[in-house]
Amino acid sequence: MMEEWVKRGMLVILILSILSPIGIILTWNCGDAWGEWEKVKVGNETWEPQSYTSAPFPDYSIPGWNSMLLASISYIISAFIGVSMCFLVVMGIAKTVEMMRE
Amino acid sequence: MHIPDGYLGPITCVVMFIIMLPVWWYAAKWAKERLSSRAIPMLAMLSSFSFVVMMFNWPVPDGTTAHMVGGTLIAIILGPWAAVIGVSVALMIQAFFFGDGGITAFGANAFNMAFVLPFAGYLMYRALLKFFNSDDVRARAIAAGVAAYIAINVAALAAAIEFGVQPYIAKGYCPYGIEVAVPAMLFAHLTTAGPVAAVVTAGVVAYIYKYRPDLMEVK
Repeated sequence: MMEEWVKRGMLVILILSILSPIGIILTWNCGDAWGEWEKVKVGNETWEPQSYTSAPFPDYSIPGWNSMLLASISYIISAFIGVSMCFLVVMGIAKTVEMMRE
Repeated sequence: MHIPDGYLGPITCVVMFIIMLPVWWYAAKWAKERLSSRAIPMLAMLSSFSFVVMMFNWPVPDGTTAHMVGGTLIAIILGPWAAVIGVSVALMIQAFFFGDGGITAFGANAFNMAFVLPFAGYLMYRALLKFFNSDDVRARAIAAGVAAYIAINVAALAAAIEFGVQPYIAKGYCPYGIEVAVPAMLFAHLTTAGPVAAVVTAGVVAYIYKYRPDLMEVK
């Protein structure tokens, strides 16, 4: 049974998820964040961080969805997936811990 | 503030994981002994909240972006050990599914955002309430806002130091030294992510304290 305040809180998170592309739309033409860049020039050399793994939704995007609209939609989908996963994983940890207590 | 793969040398990555292992172990022990079942949905919700607020990247003049974390908020409502769990889960999902923050840098990112940040925020909040000698809703909101502002900057400084030392200890990883890394990270967080974190944290703490003080574990 979900309590009223949990519902209200989840509604706020839902609204934030829908608004989440605001950040990427505002930075659309500014490139990636410093400290999160792909390739940079240092003096005369180009440095690129090594990458070891590939995530299913890199940078909250669906591969191939490159326009601003599709990127925003994939950002919202990513937010829904991420939010539900966080909720479920924390509930899972808490239930495991509760079982260990008994 | 998420450090990607390839920025930190292997030694730094390993050291950060080694530091985090006892922290996670103690957080689990704390949850087993102290986390009330009433607080569990609250923690799950705040972890989701932390995930979604980290998706808001705000632009700053030189093309830098930063974001709030929500670690101080969780620490104030449920205690700093709960924040370790809530933020670590959000960071883990970001690293594994969305490539935000490297998997090899997960120890370092968790150290900065799920350990340093909530503890800095929590200690600052407690110190400020003591200093104000009051715990009405206004004092709590101000203390929460200031604590969140300071905590995110302390965490950004920690991240900047971690990748800023790489040119001296690990060639081929982050090429920028401390003198570039620290000002760039602090500028972004002092001017944008800090104020956002302060306003959101103060607002949520005031709201919860005013309407549902019973939901706050830390009185």
